[in-house]
Amino acid sequence: MQSNKLGWLFLAPTILVLFLFGVLPFIYVLWVSFHQWNPFAANPNMIFNWADNYRAVVFDAQFLASLGATVAFVFFAVVTEVIIGYFLAQAFMGDFPGKAFFRTIHTLPLIVAPIIVGSVWKLMTTPSIGIIPHLLDNWFGLNLNIGTSALAAFTVTVVMDVWHWTPLVTLTLIAALVSLPADPFEQAQIDGAGPRQIFWHITLPMIAPALVATVFIRLMDALRTVDEVLMLTGGGPGSATRYVGVHIFKEVFPRTNYGYGSAISVIVLYLTIVVCWMLYTGLLAPRKGKEG
Amino acid sequence: MTFTRTISASALALSVAASAAFAQDLTIENEDWWKEAGAQFSGVTLRGVTESTPPSNFISDVLAPKFEELTGIRVDVETTSWDQMYDKAIKDMEAGTGIYDMVYIEQDIIYAYLSRDFLVDVTAALAEKPELKAPNYDEANLTTFADNFRGENGNLYGIPMEAFIKVYLYRTDLFNDPEIQAAYKEKTGADLKPATTHEEYTQIADFFTEYMQGKGEDIWGTTAQAHTGHPASWYEFFESVAPTFGVYNWGIDAANNYSASVENGGTMNSAEAKEALAWWLHLRDIAPPESVQSTWTEVGTTFAAGRAAQGLVYGENAAWIAADDTKSKVVGNVGVALPPVAEGVMAAAEAGEGYIGYYDGGAFGLPVTSKQQDASLLFLQFMALPEVQEEWAVAAPRITLTSTYDSPKVAELDAELGGYYSMLRDQGKLFKGAPEYPFHAQVREATAPIFYQILTGAVGPDEGLDQMAAKAEEELTTLGYRK
Repeated sequence: MQSNKLGWLFLAPTILVLFLFGVLPFIYVLWVSFHQWNPFAANPNMIFNWADNYRAVVFDAQFLASLGATVAFVFFAVVTEVIIGYFLAQAFMGDFPGKAFFRTIHTLPLIVAPIIVGSVWKLMTTPSIGIIPHLLDNWFGLNLNIGTSALAAFTVTVVMDVWHWTPLVTLTLIAALVSLPADPFEQAQIDGAGPRQIFWHITLPMIAPALVATVFIRLMDALRTVDEVLMLTGGGPGSATRYVGVHIFKEVFPRTNYGYGSAISVIVLYLTIVVCWMLYTGLLAPRKGKEG
Repeated sequence: MTFTRTISASALALSVAASAAFAQDLTIENEDWWKEAGAQFSGVTLRGVTESTPPSNFISDVLAPKFEELTGIRVDVETTSWDQMYDKAIKDMEAGTGIYDMVYIEQDIIYAYLSRDFLVDVTAALAEKPELKAPNYDEANLTTFADNFRGENGNLYGIPMEAFIKVYLYRTDLFNDPEIQAAYKEKTGADLKPATTHEEYTQIADFFTEYMQGKGEDIWGTTAQAHTGHPASWYEFFESVAPTFGVYNWGIDAANNYSASVENGGTMNSAEAKEALAWWLHLRDIAPPESVQSTWTEVGTTFAAGRAAQGLVYGENAAWIAADDTKSKVVGNVGVALPPVAEGVMAAAEAGEGYIGYYDGGAFGLPVTSKQQDASLLFLQFMALPEVQEEWAVAAPRITLTSTYDSPKVAELDAELGGYYSMLRDQGKLFKGAPEYPFHAQVREATAPIFYQILTGAVGPDEGLDQMAAKAEEELTTLGYRK
């Protein structure tokens, strides 16, 4: 009993901080989402409007387009990051000259602030004067213009995200691979299993928890991407890269549409939880069931 | 809005660092009065929040120390990014916490602040407390730009600290080149000189793009602030282009139930607005390719890199383009002119019934939530003293007092800038800031996505303006301004 109380005492500061900075703000956002509230409206006060904001979100073509673009962005970015990250992790598991140097270089993007990443990529991709359009034009005769081509802008945002965040996936998967026991691999080799069989039947199942955790982290990050994209394209051309995070930012900050913006935030949070739950039940739960 | 412009302004600040002023360089008249007035507030600390720009930095680095030296009142000015500044200022005034005694007010947000009664009426406050009125502070000495910070009663709610106009810049080396002049004459039958009409401007732009591209030169006929996802393009059209066609105040008629569409009495989708958009879109098409990603800063950079023969450029950029050879390739080759206008627009502007371009800038306001209002009033007046203006104008290209134009250093700089300051003084009245709307960002953000669709070609220009007018009215109805 005594140790139980002491445990709660030690936990109390953490719980308090979580409550103050996690739970309370969420409850406030939830509360605001049930109001019409724009401080620069003729009536700047909060007006309770039941679920009107949520109803409006469902029929908001701009939000739905934004959601569609976000799903595509998240899919291409996260899948590419996981694939490249895995191969890089495998490469870094082996020995080659300059390994430590390359591993350090490879992780550098992680320490760059997203707003800087967006700025640098903007410099590199500005039509006609950026290095990337210049080289693509010189080498392949391609005209990359992220100011006019929706596909080009979308692709560049994905590539930028992959460049920025693949190192995180690599580091996580290196940690997972390092922790794997050698026995199952040796046993499989003795039994004549090939590299592909070893990957599908041993490596992948064993690193699945780390892989899913990594995908969760990247998925949640990608869903709320704002600063990089805002800096690079501003959400354009048109609304081509107006991903959900950018959409919420524009609704809440410049437009000060607090009620509606909060409703979108809550819905996006809900969708994120649902997607994560689906991933969890689809990838990990069956495995746990088998083990159980 | 000025977030991106800050970068170029900062570059200018670096370039003038060698001539930067220090607090000890300033000589304040009536020092005894300031010492006496400040004595009652000795030990008080005033807190301000502003955007990090050269004019703001001059306040924190030069004016604040000098003020403290005289009065004993400490002034801490927090310089931060544009969005952070508004976030902090608005939350402070909204919650009534009284953290800030001075806040930066960009010209386009003043009406939103006034609608919320965030600001102290400076004119009235000084009239009520004549003992706080500084001898050398004179409201009448402020330029006409100060009118943008007056309330309905005509009183000042902010003391201007920076002011610029968006001007028509052209390359004098190209316009005065005999070979180019001859080629232009041969092609158009006209003499090559800065345009005064849209037709002339287009003709010049078409000529230069074709002529220079034909010679293999990376020079185009015009700039265009035509970003396809940033409000800079929206601003260029509604605040710099549409007014030159006679479409004012974004095409919204506040006196007519905030109507935007023609059918309800607005002009956002009028024939003039559609003509203006068609004109501008053509210019965008013959501008340097980077224009589709250009905001304020990039337009300045494009011109400074010598990639455009002419263009509409914000005044603060005009200064470094014309005078800073560490940043600009066209130093000494920059001419300044008034923007081209449609028939009747200049006459309307001269009669005070219209305007020909954008007058931008900002002021320092005193929040009603400030706990040190009297001490703040002293500092606001200190910022507007004639004797601090010359060094300030040289350190950051801004003028807010009429008397500053006559100072020797400013006259010298004016020559370098191709007469920019003279234009600001003599023709500044032809320009106007953002309309007196409290819903500035709200209507912009509601309509901007459609505007970006127009720029990408996903929506036709005429159809797009119709949609924007409808969307503006819908937003204004939601906000409760339109009944």
